[in-house]
Amino acid sequence: MKQRHIQHLYWRAGFGIDVKKIDQLKSKSKNEIVKNLISDAKKINLLQLDLSEFNLIKNKSPKALRIEMGEEAYRKLRQKSQKKVRDLNHAWLERLTEPTSVLREKMTLFWSNVFVCRDNHIFHIQHFNNTLRKNALGNFRELVKTIAKEASMSKYLNNRQNRKKSPNENFARELMELFTLGIGNYTEQDIKEAARAFTGWSFKLNGDFVLREKQHDSGIKTFFDKSGYFDGDDIIDLILEKKQCARFICDKVYRYFVNPIIDESHLDEITTIFYKDYDINNLMVHIFSAKWFYNDKNIGVKIKSPVELLVGIRRVVPVTFMKKNQLNYLQKMMGQVLLYPENVSGWKGGKNWIDSNTLMFRMKLASLILNDAVINLEEKGAFEDSFNKYYNKERKRNKYIKTIKNWDVFTKNHLKLKPNELRDLLIISKLDKDTADLLNELRVNSNKDYCIQLMSIPEYQLC
Amino acid sequence: MKRRDFIKRSSLASGLFFVPNFIKNIESQSINNLGFRKLVIIQLSGGNDGLNSIIPYTNDVYYKNRPQISIKKNNLIKATDELGFHKSLAPLKNLYDQGYLTIINNVGYPNPNRSHFRSTDIWQTASDSNQYLDTGWLGRYIEKYGKIPYSGIEIDDSLSLIMKGKTINGIATKNPRTLFSNTQTPYFKKVLNYQSDQHLSEHNLGYLYKTMIEARSSAKYIYETSKTYKSTLDYPKNPFGKQLKTTAEFINSHLDSKVYYASMGGFDTHANQFNRQDRLLSTFSSAMEIFVKDLKQNNTFKDTLILVFSEFGRRVQQNGAGGTDHGAANNVYIIGENLKNKGFYNDAPDLLRLDKNGDIIHTVDFRSIYASILDKWLVVDDVSILNKTFKKLDFI
Repeated sequence: MKQRHIQHLYWRAGFGIDVKKIDQLKSKSKNEIVKNLISDAKKINLLQLDLSEFNLIKNKSPKALRIEMGEEAYRKLRQKSQKKVRDLNHAWLERLTEPTSVLREKMTLFWSNVFVCRDNHIFHIQHFNNTLRKNALGNFRELVKTIAKEASMSKYLNNRQNRKKSPNENFARELMELFTLGIGNYTEQDIKEAARAFTGWSFKLNGDFVLREKQHDSGIKTFFDKSGYFDGDDIIDLILEKKQCARFICDKVYRYFVNPIIDESHLDEITTIFYKDYDINNLMVHIFSAKWFYNDKNIGVKIKSPVELLVGIRRVVPVTFMKKNQLNYLQKMMGQVLLYPENVSGWKGGKNWIDSNTLMFRMKLASLILNDAVINLEEKGAFEDSFNKYYNKERKRNKYIKTIKNWDVFTKNHLKLKPNELRDLLIISKLDKDTADLLNELRVNSNKDYCIQLMSIPEYQLC
Repeated sequence: MKRRDFIKRSSLASGLFFVPNFIKNIESQSINNLGFRKLVIIQLSGGNDGLNSIIPYTNDVYYKNRPQISIKKNNLIKATDELGFHKSLAPLKNLYDQGYLTIINNVGYPNPNRSHFRSTDIWQTASDSNQYLDTGWLGRYIEKYGKIPYSGIEIDDSLSLIMKGKTINGIATKNPRTLFSNTQTPYFKKVLNYQSDQHLSEHNLGYLYKTMIEARSSAKYIYETSKTYKSTLDYPKNPFGKQLKTTAEFINSHLDSKVYYASMGGFDTHANQFNRQDRLLSTFSSAMEIFVKDLKQNNTFKDTLILVFSEFGRRVQQNGAGGTDHGAANNVYIIGENLKNKGFYNDAPDLLRLDKNGDIIHTVDFRSIYASILDKWLVVDDVSILNKTFKKLDFI
């Protein structure tokens, strides 16, 4: 397989590829390489923090804990546990830099922006994240049904307040609008009926799903012109009967993995395949094996998400962050903080990542983490912050990003590369003609410097 | 190539190159045809407690619901027979006395959302409560009428949704020199100096180059224009005072920018609200008074309209921690020289008629305020910015 095509595949199915791996794969056929990718993704390595000090929260109700520990001690424990969500963010980012199970991790990231959820309960959100990971390449039907029973989702979209006597439609609405069908493919009445089917769906303290029979409306519902004693699972089945559901998901998959501009015939093709059995693995194998996936018009045309950009750099030069909080800073300045989506519709992606400020920051990112460039910008405060805290984020920070850069690994891997080979390794997008001239005129002293320079041109923003 | 060489070469190179046509077009673009008027929007982030800011001091329901944190009748500045200002809002009361302030009560939207994030989204995008938009209402104004990033400036280091359009966005800066220096980094500068824009396409790569060029020209324009005026007034020495001072310097140096946005944090007063809000309101109003004075001295106040809002008000009933929880409708302040409807625009909240959460029910949709400002102050087509027709109000 051509090097450029291997790079394309690995940028879309993962976060780029290093030169050693390319050398391993070059002589192999496309089928073998895709097979490799898929079998590597079979491994499910869950993301698990050590949360033993917070087990109380999982086992006893807040009310009981307040009495047992006292108001103040309980509040502190809770706050400390909520801070762990940040640790999970860091652990997740670290995970993405690992070279194994790349497709599963990329899919997990993809699904997290379909089934958007936010929760400061560390046990519940960690479980939610692992549910995405476990089902990332499984069956979409299972995925939707499992997500609908997650504690974090139940809270985020108010399904636990959804009771027979006073239904809450939030989950039913977003299930159809954002997770499965898209706006305009159901009626307000469908939402009302679906909401009834999800009444009483709740969870225990430890996050396990529980059906609260008394709050469940077990009557006949009429949904999509069918009537029956439907519960939530039935509703999901009825939604998936619509080909629009397969199309809606395939549209997202296509824009994320292939091209932000849809080719209708390719979308039709993958929709038909996905609709057959909703098998995610089959869908991805089909896409990565399709001839059109490797068309020039699909290569290097996607604007990297902040996470793709950050992880991509770290896959080339291994970097250790000495101050984990600085990872939050970087994510915030670029507008994508994992586990902290702004709203349930998720990150729009594409051109939406880019404005004057984020672009300047993104183009400086390689200098910031590889070359000790000085930080001169501050992140926004949070809503809950006091006045002083809102404005004083920077005091906690050093004026540069503290990292340990493993240039030895980079040098070892890239020692023999000529400048144009390094360029082709790092830049997959077409080069702007003037910028290509600029690069040709540069006197390259070391691959290390050239690497940072290449990561600082606009073309590096694309994958 | 060494970093130093890189810089040296770029500075050598910069003189040798033509200014590309594409950049020229951007730089010569004038937004002057939009007139001299400015709009400044301040968000009191976290949700300011409107009931303890403008106090219904004759209302028993108010006192009953807030045994610990209500503002006593003898500890406020009376404005009408039923409403009075928090004493820390004395500077705002001065503006009121001069006829520079309109207070609109009970502003909100149907099906209020009580999450900071979501409700801020709603206010910033002017969406319905169950609708998700990825552009802000000022962003859409910038995209349609301003056409260049500096037509909208956020006084911060990163851009909020309110300023985002589809392919043209506003620009954020709290320090024009820093902004400018960030477009002068070796790589950024070098790439642009080489750029002749002959082959920039509409696709993503072209979009990146276009954004770079716009960023550079906006940063340069803001920096070089704003340094011609330095405010001499004594703003309070805190970050919010600094934000307003910077805004005044932008306006008084006659930047062509039309809309400004700044957020003041700290209003999420779930606990110990009494003293906290006291300080917050004082910080807010004392800086605002100087800001207005600064504009007046420079004869720009007449062309400036200021809108102050929070993403929501707070619950009528206080909570157990001496604070208040997230509520719904709230009051909005409009500050300007030529207001049509000075003082209180409408009735105080009806505390006997609350929603099922115990929150104030809105009587004015916030988008009616936006529509009125777009139509009557910025004199543009409000419907195409808000995607809907809203009833216009009569305050300007």
